[in-house]
Amino acid sequence: MKPAPFDYVRAESVEHAVATLAAAGSDGKIIAGGQSLMPMINFRLVRPAVLVDINRISGLDRIEDRGKHLRLGALVRHRMTASDAVIARDVPVLHAAMENVAHLTVRNRGTFCGSVCHADPSAEMPMLTLLLDGVVRIAGPNGEREIAAADFLTGSLTNALDPAEMVTAIDIAKPAPGTGWGFAEFARRHGDYALAAVSVLIERADGAARNVRVAVMGVGEIASRIVPAEAVLEGREPTAAVIAEAVAALRDDIEPMSDLSASADYRRHLAGALAAKVIAQAWERAA
Amino acid sequence: MTQADISVELRPKLVGSRVKRTEDPRLLTGTGQYVDDIKLADMVHVAILRSDQPHALIREIRVGDTSSVPGLIGIYDWTDLEGEVRPAIPTSRMKGYYATPYWPLARGKVRYVGEPVVAVVADSRYAAEDALGLIEIDYEPLPFAIRQVDAVREDAPLLHEEAGTNVIVERTFMRGDIEDAIASAPVVVRGQFRMTRKTATSMECRSYLAEYDTRRRALTLWTSSNIPGIIRDALSDALDLPGSRMRVVAPDVGGSFGGKGSLYHEEMLVCLLARKLERPVKYVADRLEELSSSSQAFDQLIDGELAVARDGTFLGLRCDVIGDIGAYSIYPWTGGIEPVQVISFMPGPYKIEHYHGRVRAVLTPKPPTGPYRGVGRPSSTFAMERLIDMAARELGMDPADLRRHNLVSDGEFPYRTAPGIIWDQSAFQQCLAGAREAIGYDGLRVWQEQARAEGRWVGIGISSYAELTGIGSRIAVAPGMPINTGTETAIIRIDSTGAVEASFGIASHGQGLETTLAQVIADELGCAMDDVVVLQGDSSLVPMSSGTYASRSAVIAGGAATQASRALKGKVLRMAAHVMAEPVEDLEAERGWIRSRTSNAGMTFKEVARAVYLQMGTIPRDIREDLTVTETYDPFLGTACSSTHICVAEVDRETFGVRLLKYVVAEDCGRIINPMIVDGQVHGAVAQGIGAALLEEIVYDDEGQLVTASLADYLLPLASDVLDMQIVHIEAELPNNVGGFRGMGEGGTIGAPAAIANAISDALAPLGLGIQTLPATPERLFQLIRPHLNTLEENTK
Repeated sequence: MKPAPFDYVRAESVEHAVATLAAAGSDGKIIAGGQSLMPMINFRLVRPAVLVDINRISGLDRIEDRGKHLRLGALVRHRMTASDAVIARDVPVLHAAMENVAHLTVRNRGTFCGSVCHADPSAEMPMLTLLLDGVVRIAGPNGEREIAAADFLTGSLTNALDPAEMVTAIDIAKPAPGTGWGFAEFARRHGDYALAAVSVLIERADGAARNVRVAVMGVGEIASRIVPAEAVLEGREPTAAVIAEAVAALRDDIEPMSDLSASADYRRHLAGALAAKVIAQAWERAA
Repeated sequence: MTQADISVELRPKLVGSRVKRTEDPRLLTGTGQYVDDIKLADMVHVAILRSDQPHALIREIRVGDTSSVPGLIGIYDWTDLEGEVRPAIPTSRMKGYYATPYWPLARGKVRYVGEPVVAVVADSRYAAEDALGLIEIDYEPLPFAIRQVDAVREDAPLLHEEAGTNVIVERTFMRGDIEDAIASAPVVVRGQFRMTRKTATSMECRSYLAEYDTRRRALTLWTSSNIPGIIRDALSDALDLPGSRMRVVAPDVGGSFGGKGSLYHEEMLVCLLARKLERPVKYVADRLEELSSSSQAFDQLIDGELAVARDGTFLGLRCDVIGDIGAYSIYPWTGGIEPVQVISFMPGPYKIEHYHGRVRAVLTPKPPTGPYRGVGRPSSTFAMERLIDMAARELGMDPADLRRHNLVSDGEFPYRTAPGIIWDQSAFQQCLAGAREAIGYDGLRVWQEQARAEGRWVGIGISSYAELTGIGSRIAVAPGMPINTGTETAIIRIDSTGAVEASFGIASHGQGLETTLAQVIADELGCAMDDVVVLQGDSSLVPMSSGTYASRSAVIAGGAATQASRALKGKVLRMAAHVMAEPVEDLEAERGWIRSRTSNAGMTFKEVARAVYLQMGTIPRDIREDLTVTETYDPFLGTACSSTHICVAEVDRETFGVRLLKYVVAEDCGRIINPMIVDGQVHGAVAQGIGAALLEEIVYDDEGQLVTASLADYLLPLASDVLDMQIVHIEAELPNNVGGFRGMGEGGTIGAPAAIANAISDALAPLGLGIQTLPATPERLFQLIRPHLNTLEENTK
């Protein structure tokens, strides 16, 4: 379990990193936290010719409060996300999710942006980026571009990056004040990849749910918003019967996979059970 | 007893004290020395190309252009080793048994995914792995039966044609008339039980380093083994070297749990390559190799039936077991070690007159099963304890009362079980009572009723078991095994500086035996504990050694240490008596001082040593005795170690996840040498039992491929899965061996799966459901409960 030979470049700047990637053709790979990449390299499942280390690039390790949204730089570690006071105050659903993210040593190195790029169907960051209207900021040979998270996450372990591009930051929207939130996850062991997780945002206006967002992970190719469930709730009071209807819509909409840890049927059951809980929770919290 | 003797008796002893482990300073500060820490000049590294086929003939092995791999030294397959090695053959006296020969590399045919086929040697492991990619093997796939129910069929494809069958072990134990007992019993419960395949997963992966001394034509193997003595003898035969030229050393070893307790292909391989290349050769398994090629465990299919009288008396027990032992009969224990042990221990600590146990051990294309902490008894205890709870439910009896009614009680020992195991006096009943009291059993049942009324799925599970430990030469630890594991030799010597050096054949790999044996020696010899160094894990220390396994070391090495220390103390006191001019009967030794009870005379061990070895003329030649002693201890039979576990568990109605709420262990391990170490053994073993009950499972798909090939898929218990547990030590009657010790390193893994399975089953009892397969994963519980979900929802409305 040793990696195949590769070249290593410590990038001095984003421009340097992008130029190195471009020179490597499609055989370059960015390393930040390395928590998913290194095992894949050691298993020789990924064999980059050049590893571009961005850890020394200054300015990427910040969480910036930009009023209506937060900007998380490419070197923001899970540990920083978990302990950030602004996130705890303004994006409590993200704060609450962080304790389910792996273990301390992984959180100390793994990055928010890296996890979104890796696009594991059972990881929290892609789901939360979708829930929070994430916008992915990308640097490439032709300058910068922005792309909505929904367009960035193209499938299981795939994203919309070109080989010579890197993610420099991800912007996430702060939910409107008073937005109710809920997050629930079930894994075989604490910190493992989830068998299913559900996150919900609900605003309350005149006794009805507004701007409902329901996102799931672990129950499909990639994390996703469940529009039919959102539609059931939108504009109605989430009574037990309405929640049951939303849960049915969610169970109907998802296409979970069967694998070693869980069957599709169980995942479907689980996603519904978690959704029922967090929708009620979010409604309760909505002001 | 005189006043002086009583004062000696009352002095605090080291045995029984929570002495801190002397191993820990080196292990916790990173100065321990594991095999991978040893770096020798000119050392080279091996990477292994393993079979990706479950069963196939090797047609051709092709090597591409290797010029792109700097540092490559050689590529070897079995044809390169022909004539240099004999196979290891795990012989046994079992009737009808076929011993599969065991070679360093697959010889013309592969029999499981992960079997070593080609060895690459290079100056770094990186280069060796690069070269692996250049090797192509042409296989001709052969048919195979991956599941034991298929492999036992007469028309199943054969893994070893020479055997003529896949069923290489078949045994039956009988007593009384089981047919009649079952036919006439008012209550009979039955079920098919299975603990799925498992593996040991130590923190340190298997690691080997061989060095060939060209001057002496001698090999030294450093191995992460817990049986260096057995490995030495096996390699001595395989490589045709006398013990004087074949030394096997187990330095610090990072856990085994049985997984490092058998001979491995790679141990033979590095020795052969070191001799061939005349350079030190190192192989360290990575986690993928550890999971796909180390010995595995469990995987018995147990059909069990228990016949019970209306008053709860067990009348008869029948079990039919098919053990999936993988592709080879493991050396030296044989493939019978796990499955035969299941029918040997199935009746457990209970009185059962009529018994019929049958076992078939069947070859399948998987890594061989070998010893795993508890050996067979986790499975037998799971099946038996489930049957008891099923019977209790059928009878409307409390499961604790049903056990009390049937456990062998004081006055009934020694008790001979139907398969022939003799239980010496042990605290079976006291453990059950102790665990009940500690957990507050009666109150818990009241709490459970309330919780159930709130709709919670909560259950209480009990398991009682006994194991045979510290087994002497009369009994083979594995069925029909011709190797003696029942003796242990201690060589204790005091050198000219007064230091005490004690050598043993055991091989501590986390048990803290360097500490506990030093405690025994310091007490018995009267020296200071700091002056004692315990040497172990090296085949050159004593003439015959085996290692540490089967809960033997504290009992047998502890016995040898006691006998040798007593003999050595006699020598020390005789020499001191001469120097001090005091009657020897008046002398007593304690913590390095020899004192007279009747005068103020005293001297240290160091002074005695100097008098003996250095100060010529102090002790006349004709009475001078060297301060060395060799003693061999053989307890002949074994001694029971028993325990009761009680667990409280809750099944989540939404997620089907299981949470353990309370856990108590009451155990009788005889005289406790170090309560802190005993507690640690119980904690660790229960944690492993939690893994077996809820998480760990090795899965092979229908194509014979391993699908749990990393620790992301093979789930070990984490700290967050293990709960605070209470331990009750019950020191009832001491066993009739030298130290009064019972072996206790394995127990927790035996009791925990059954207790947890019973707790989950009790939680689901209102639904009429129970656990028959472990681990009880959320998926399994979902599938079990799902057919009842609608009814449940109706009832809730």
